[in-house]
Amino acid sequence: MTDVTIAPLPAAPLHVFEIWSNPAAVADRFKAATGFALPPTGRSGGNDALRVIRFEPTVWLVEGDVSALGDVLGTDGALTAIGGGIVRVRLSGAGWRTLLMEGGVLNAEDPTFSAGCSASTIIDHVNVRLHVVSDDVCDAYVPLSFSADLLHFWQEATPALFDGVAH
Amino acid sequence: MSGPMRDPKGATISFTFDGKTYQARAGDTLAAALLANGIGLVGRSFKYHRPRGIMTAGIEEPNALVTVGDGGRAEPNTRATDVFVYDGLIARSQNRWPNLSFDVGAVFSLAAPMLGAGFYYKTFFGSAKRWMFYEYFIRKAAGLGNAPTKADPDKFSQRAAFCDVLVVGAGPAGLQAALEQAEAGKRVILVEQDAILGASLIRDPQKLDAAWVAATATRIRAAGGRILTRTTASGYWEHDLVTLTQRLAEPGEAPSSGVTQRLWHVRAGQVILATGSIERPMAFAHNDRPGVMLSQAARTYVRRFGVLPGKRVVIATNNDDAYMTAQALKEAGAEIVAILDARPEFSDAASGAVSAGLPVWANAVPSSVTGARHCLSGVTALIDGQSKSWKADLIAVSGGFTPVVHLHMQAGGTLDWNEAAQAFVPAASRQNVSTIGGAANPDPVFPVTPVSNPKKSFIDFQNDVSLADVDLAWAEGYRSVEHLKRYTTLGMATDQGKLSNMAALGRLAEKQGVSIPEAGLTTFRPPYTPVSMGAIAGAGAKNAGAHVRRLALYDVHAAKNPIGQPLGYWFRPRAYPQGQETLAQAALREAKAVRTGVGMTDVSTLAKFEVSGPDAAAFLDIICATTVSKLAVGRGRYTFMLREDGIVFDDGTVWRLDENRYLLTSSTGGADRMATHISYVRQYLCPQLKVSAVNVQEHYAGIAIAGPKAKPVMDALMKADAPRHMSTVPSDIAGVPVIVLAASYSGERAFEVYVEASKAASVWAACEAEVTAQGGCLYGLEAMEFLRIEKGHLVVGGEVDGRMTPMDLALDKMLNKAGGYVGATGLSRPALSEPGRRQLVGLEAISGDIPEGAMLITQKGASPEGHVSAAAFRILEGGSVALGQLKDGFSRHGEELIASSPTRGQEARVRVVHPHFYDTAGERYRD
Repeated sequence: MTDVTIAPLPAAPLHVFEIWSNPAAVADRFKAATGFALPPTGRSGGNDALRVIRFEPTVWLVEGDVSALGDVLGTDGALTAIGGGIVRVRLSGAGWRTLLMEGGVLNAEDPTFSAGCSASTIIDHVNVRLHVVSDDVCDAYVPLSFSADLLHFWQEATPALFDGVAH
Repeated sequence: MSGPMRDPKGATISFTFDGKTYQARAGDTLAAALLANGIGLVGRSFKYHRPRGIMTAGIEEPNALVTVGDGGRAEPNTRATDVFVYDGLIARSQNRWPNLSFDVGAVFSLAAPMLGAGFYYKTFFGSAKRWMFYEYFIRKAAGLGNAPTKADPDKFSQRAAFCDVLVVGAGPAGLQAALEQAEAGKRVILVEQDAILGASLIRDPQKLDAAWVAATATRIRAAGGRILTRTTASGYWEHDLVTLTQRLAEPGEAPSSGVTQRLWHVRAGQVILATGSIERPMAFAHNDRPGVMLSQAARTYVRRFGVLPGKRVVIATNNDDAYMTAQALKEAGAEIVAILDARPEFSDAASGAVSAGLPVWANAVPSSVTGARHCLSGVTALIDGQSKSWKADLIAVSGGFTPVVHLHMQAGGTLDWNEAAQAFVPAASRQNVSTIGGAANPDPVFPVTPVSNPKKSFIDFQNDVSLADVDLAWAEGYRSVEHLKRYTTLGMATDQGKLSNMAALGRLAEKQGVSIPEAGLTTFRPPYTPVSMGAIAGAGAKNAGAHVRRLALYDVHAAKNPIGQPLGYWFRPRAYPQGQETLAQAALREAKAVRTGVGMTDVSTLAKFEVSGPDAAAFLDIICATTVSKLAVGRGRYTFMLREDGIVFDDGTVWRLDENRYLLTSSTGGADRMATHISYVRQYLCPQLKVSAVNVQEHYAGIAIAGPKAKPVMDALMKADAPRHMSTVPSDIAGVPVIVLAASYSGERAFEVYVEASKAASVWAACEAEVTAQGGCLYGLEAMEFLRIEKGHLVVGGEVDGRMTPMDLALDKMLNKAGGYVGATGLSRPALSEPGRRQLVGLEAISGDIPEGAMLITQKGASPEGHVSAAAFRILEGGSVALGQLKDGFSRHGEELIASSPTRGQEARVRVVHPHFYDTAGERYRD
């Protein structure tokens, strides 16, 4: 049984959204501009046009159209493009949790790590950010330089994912 | 043995041992299958090549070590008791020549009196070269199996797991504990190193049988528990992290899905150890022969595998457990010729055996056995001090039980001495671990003092260590148990003293005249049971455990078939040879192209940080030791960074892209360190600043274009005037937005083009087309090194080696006079300015080529006063030049020295000069 599909996604605009002052005011402006709140630590939020993942206390990863975010930040933060160096990979199928345990340190099998959750972790020595899209889908944000190797790692691990593991 | 010891009916699996084909039943271990086929001689001992058989039925087996599998899958030193036979299994005996029955090496047994403990230390004196000579023969004569010479074709996996309770051992106690925890709602992982559950219940199913085991496992799984078989807890680390080694295929077997073993990293809330105990052998003369077996092992072969390991059996014991073996063997058809009970009085079990007609002797201990290579023929015992002998083909011994406490000890636990059991048992632990079952409560035993010839009474079977070796070590002054272990090699190799430790401690205590706990205990270090190196390396086993970082333009470079070079985790083109060019020829051609025309190279790996915000300049003034805040928009400058102790740790350039936006570049090799430093400064030293510092190393691919024709190339690409030296402009190449920096690492007019990595290919193609049109070419790291050495530019990891101050590198004039940067205070320490420090110098060869890494000496035999950090050839003029560090080097220009590399056997006479060999006025990179 394999039950996990690994598929790189097309390049997309990705930005670091960092706040250094007046976080409450920025949060208010953000919600007013986007229609959803800045997600707390370990969570992500958004919609098809804009996904926001918090991965540091004052830093979010933003995927999608950021045209409105410059005004949201004003002089209270900065928006920096980083998308050129990140490959998005979609892990789909019920086996994605097990796959993420391979070479991992995060408890991806924890059922509370569910849709809307995010994490910044290490998988087989590579720093990876994760966003749980749904029960059957998790997106991984992988550094470009490691992406070929990590994709190969995941593809090699997949056939034996459930060997010797009986619940 | 005297023939097959099991009815061949049902044996349908074929395997080979030393080339001969045999049949086994499903579920047989190799040891069981060999015994079933009447094979008693399985291996030769490590040092004396003594014949060795099968002593145990588990992972504690010290004797029956074989190589299983073929080619790259061959697994040496596999315990025959710990591999389950599969169709086509290939097993070979080890450490024998020309064959197992007739082993020439057995001659060493005759020389045993001269080969005792410490033999190597006392014999092989002389120079290191002589040791190389000795070693060749020692390795030929002694040892275990040979490592395979071919690469392992299989893969290894590493996986994380989390649970509330990890239970190690699926015997009755472990199964019960796992069931209770799972049904209480805990997330449970139960691990068992055997292929089936039950442990002691498999051989002793009287109270709880296989049906109970199966039902319990079903209930554990139904409650959400995970059960892993063929899985050994191989190490207990801090914070209740336990590593498990799981076999997905048997040794030498092709795995069904490609992965042969998995190393689990289990983080447990609580660990329950139900690891049981290991039966101890007894010390008597020739107790290492085939036909000497542990009592519980004999019972296991009878009850689990249906194999009768002997037909005329003597049982020697100091406890009641062995009476169950007598019963099992008798039921299986063996004749029990004597039960030697070391205890002076009959226990209830002994009395029961007498009532059942078995010949039980009290106050009886074995003193020696006799036999041929393949089997045992007789047993002699001392009974009330009188010698008595029997013909027998098996002696089943039980010298007590050693609780398996290694995981408890690795967890930082302590041990208590259990006098009744004559064993160490788990006591307190500083981690959340508890021990249950036989490991916590071993059966009581009667202490037995060996009465036989100590020279032939072995205590460590795997390392050929006898009682006499312990005595010798004691006589030669080895008092500490740790020293004793190393002097005698006791407890080393694959069995880690599982059978030998307690016997050795007992002998040491006897010599010291103290109790066993007073004699001490060696340290249990993981792994207790061997773990394959492949499992430790994981999926990266074929790559030395590391991923290779690929450039964004990896495919573009690969199509040009360059010579590659690892640079940190990166893999970069070192040169692009044309035709039959060597590396040196290609690099020199590329470097000349840069000096005379134009060349381009990939500099994407440079560290890059985008620093934004109203306090960006103030932040960079803290990070960088040079002034940044005075930079005008569109300008850049060279900079360097200090550690807090004032030592230079990286360098690069800083560019003001906009009013509140800067780009900081630094070295490839120091990129991760710089990212950490920036994060540290941002979060700890100045969290109040309104600044964002983002690592954009991978966001931007970088292309450097250098040479006298670089400016026209850039003018054409930008369709505008390229910026002047140390200026930057945003631009557009091939329709893609880029940042153009005018900076030179080569010493020529040069530019760096930064483009979003995912769009870099078209920009690279446009640049390459224009460079080619100008007669230029690509250049790699080797040419870059030639260029920068000739120009006298520093490289982090070479000249910047973690010991040099800005003063040592002649960078002090660039320091921010206002201070305030990281390292400013450390730099003020007087010691950093005192005479005698090593300083950056250039070196010109007077004769010979300067060897990189050579030490700098004034004359032969003198102490080194510095070293060569980088060496190259002058690109156009020829001649060997180098950069180096030299004691008081600034004041020694003109002095002649010797650059000597004894390890390479190279030497050159050099003259100390200024470290800039090319365009010292810096005119070539200015318009």
